[in-house]
Amino acid sequence: MTKEIVARLKKIVGKEYVMDKLEDRICYSFDATFRDSCPDVVVKPANTEEIVKVLQLAHQHGIPVTAMGAATGNSGGAVPLGKGICLGLTRLNRILKIDVENRMAIVEPGVITDDFANAVLRTGLLFYPPDPASSKISTIGGNIVECAGGPRGVKYGITRDYVLGLEVVLSDGRVVEVGNQVDGDMCGPDWTMLFVGSEGTLGIVTKMFLRLAERPEAKQTILAVYDRLDDAANTVSTIIKSGTIPTTLEIMDNQTIRVVEDYLKAGLPVEADAVLLIEVDGSKVEVERQKEHVINVCRKCGASDVQVAVTNEDIDRLWLARRSISPACGKVSPTKFAEDTTVPRSKVPEMLRKAREIADKHGIKMLLFGHAGDGNLHPNIMTDRHNHAEMEKVELAVKDLFRAALELGGTLSGEHGIGYMKAPFLKWELGEVGFEAGQKVKAALDPAHLLNPGKMFTA
Amino acid sequence: MDRHIEEWQQQLVKCVRCGTCRAVCPVFKITDNENTTARGKVKLIEAVTDGKLELTREMQKRLDKCLLCEACSVGCPAGVKTDELFMSARRALADNNGISYIKKIIYTGMTYRSLFNLALRLGSVFQSLLFRDAPDKKGRFSRIPLPAAGLNKRRLFPALAKMPLASLVPKVNKVSNPRARVAFFPGCMMNYVYTDSGRAVIDILLANDVEVVIPDNLYCCGIMVAASGDYGTARHLAERNVAALSSDNYDAIITGCASCGATLKHKYGLVIDDPAVRQKWEKISEKVFDFTQYLTAKGYSREFADTGVKITYHDPCHLVRGMKVSKEPRAVLKSIPGVELAEMKDANKCCGCGGTFSATHYDISRAINEEKIDNVEKTGAEVLLTGCSGCRMHLSDGLSRRGSKMTVMHTAEFIAKAYAAKKEQGRLNQ
Repeated sequence: MTKEIVARLKKIVGKEYVMDKLEDRICYSFDATFRDSCPDVVVKPANTEEIVKVLQLAHQHGIPVTAMGAATGNSGGAVPLGKGICLGLTRLNRILKIDVENRMAIVEPGVITDDFANAVLRTGLLFYPPDPASSKISTIGGNIVECAGGPRGVKYGITRDYVLGLEVVLSDGRVVEVGNQVDGDMCGPDWTMLFVGSEGTLGIVTKMFLRLAERPEAKQTILAVYDRLDDAANTVSTIIKSGTIPTTLEIMDNQTIRVVEDYLKAGLPVEADAVLLIEVDGSKVEVERQKEHVINVCRKCGASDVQVAVTNEDIDRLWLARRSISPACGKVSPTKFAEDTTVPRSKVPEMLRKAREIADKHGIKMLLFGHAGDGNLHPNIMTDRHNHAEMEKVELAVKDLFRAALELGGTLSGEHGIGYMKAPFLKWELGEVGFEAGQKVKAALDPAHLLNPGKMFTA
Repeated sequence: MDRHIEEWQQQLVKCVRCGTCRAVCPVFKITDNENTTARGKVKLIEAVTDGKLELTREMQKRLDKCLLCEACSVGCPAGVKTDELFMSARRALADNNGISYIKKIIYTGMTYRSLFNLALRLGSVFQSLLFRDAPDKKGRFSRIPLPAAGLNKRRLFPALAKMPLASLVPKVNKVSNPRARVAFFPGCMMNYVYTDSGRAVIDILLANDVEVVIPDNLYCCGIMVAASGDYGTARHLAERNVAALSSDNYDAIITGCASCGATLKHKYGLVIDDPAVRQKWEKISEKVFDFTQYLTAKGYSREFADTGVKITYHDPCHLVRGMKVSKEPRAVLKSIPGVELAEMKDANKCCGCGGTFSATHYDISRAINEEKIDNVEKTGAEVLLTGCSGCRMHLSDGLSRRGSKMTVMHTAEFIAKAYAAKKEQGRLNQ
């Protein structure tokens, strides 16, 4: 990075928003994964116009550009592996419009997910369903380019399902608007979806048109306790097969329950082999019916205990237990591989069995939990990145997990994205032809391979 | 530096870079720069242990941009003791590069009018603290050994006019039938600046039949020097204070200053090396109570006058996180008849002061405080109470800049006034 380039970047975004000291570059060299790479310079533009100019400059001089939001990703999407420019997007943090009548919103990528979700809630009528665990810190832009999910995905889908359109700056600095602000309208192929989950490899998302959902009138939270993990897993597919789609359907295995209980002391059933945390929502009448139905199915599938949270405190306590899994893992071991292996719902029991076998085979510690309702499981491998012998075993186990998921007709990633961590396995899922087609799309939109190198199709 | 590495690594290895610290760090909220988050600083320290970064002045600047409010430490899902890690890193950086804190206070202060006012107040404290000819006539509270070279030549500020608390009250404050005999550690702020709050703590204890001794030879608790990385001086102060507080077998050691309390109770564990001193300190540590904690633990008199006032309470970092005290002051305040406690939003969020941080990074400090003041004003309270003199100073600064009429008081002063008013009523009735 020449001094001249740095000077020109400063001219574009202002001196204080360009950082080229080692001490600052180190702070922008990572996300929530374990690999680092220092960018040559950190640039924090304020708006689309500045981003256009930065990309034009980068294009002209062949400088790689990696976009970064809150850097909370679990697959390494924001790590600037290609060095060059780290494009921090947190200054684009305005909620431009919440349109109640048309049930849509216009948002900039740097808005914190929860800030947006809360702003929508204040309308009283609507809500924004995607609820990734990191919603207090993650940005909406990051959610879109990693295609984040969350517990509510079972009923409401994931981030992808709420994107109507995007404003994107292409690698040469030209601006394109894909999709549109009108719900359901479409001309030609669904370009928008091309950029959702693209991790900034195809363009820089600078504005988002998002769909909003109707806020349900009531909800109920249920905890079902099982002596056998298998029974819990069977409950998942049985509930949905029999016509009720819960808002959330979370599973936690025995190891997960114990880790959370150690951390939280919330009185969780530590002897249980698994628990399901189920939430249903809708109109008051509808919720009552769904609740009874869920309780029946749980019992029929072998639940040893079914509890319905009555008070708000009970509900909070149950959700706190779910939300505390990640924090609790942090206390168990220093490095975790938070996988998001996803399989068809009907294959959840089989995937869970296989995951346990894989953990046993490699002799590693693996917690099993996840959004079982949409088949999105989180086998979390607990390790220490400084323990090289164990890390080798972990890598083998991860490969086995991916292979098992794909064999069951599933996918490498339900919500964490590909980044650098899953890029080496992308071909397994897409096949030679699919991968090549992906490379061509990448080459068409970013012929110089400047956007987020080392990820997805360019790993 | 090598001696730090192992100690650092124990903390570094725990950080999973999840970014939860982004949601809780008051400084990050203002700066929106990863170089102010806990995980950013953890990464810098890791870079040092990996040999990728030297202990540079630029690194020191980034480590200094932290309130040590402990929000990240308490909020860390992985349990990284960030506050201790950052203090230790500051120590290594100070050993390597020296400290220019006090100079910065003076130089930065002169460029801001309101800060200059603040600095004058701070400056007078420093004078009394630092200079041999401090207005400490009885010599009961010794002066801090000079923490930074060249400081003794800088007498830029007028001397503090007030008499230190130690000169205003007797060494031993007796009651007729004592329930207990405690040592009171007033700390610099209550001794040199807010003597009224120091006196209030004593009056409250006396009203509860507790004999109060202000031991000889107390020093500054040392939090500011330790926080700036000067562990040598901090250790020196800790050793002297431990000696002074061990000289007699007090039932308890009472503080009215959040920072002094947290330092005596916990932080001395970081600075004391000598095993013999440590053993003595451990005994003292168990006996350290914030005065509200002492009242609620031991029971207290409800001889309060009816006050009929709407108050709000700000949790000082070193009380709520440092000493885990937040219910106690509220419980005592609510037991005063006629008090309406209106909770502000984010009452436990740092006010932005952070000791010397408010002087070295006044812009950030002020911006954090503005949000706090917004929350304070929204309660519609007449009186703002807090248990830390640093917070009090910074909150007063924020309110006065807005021309607010709200009164800011130390919790102790409010409670003492409620006792005194009741007593006065009784006297008039007789």
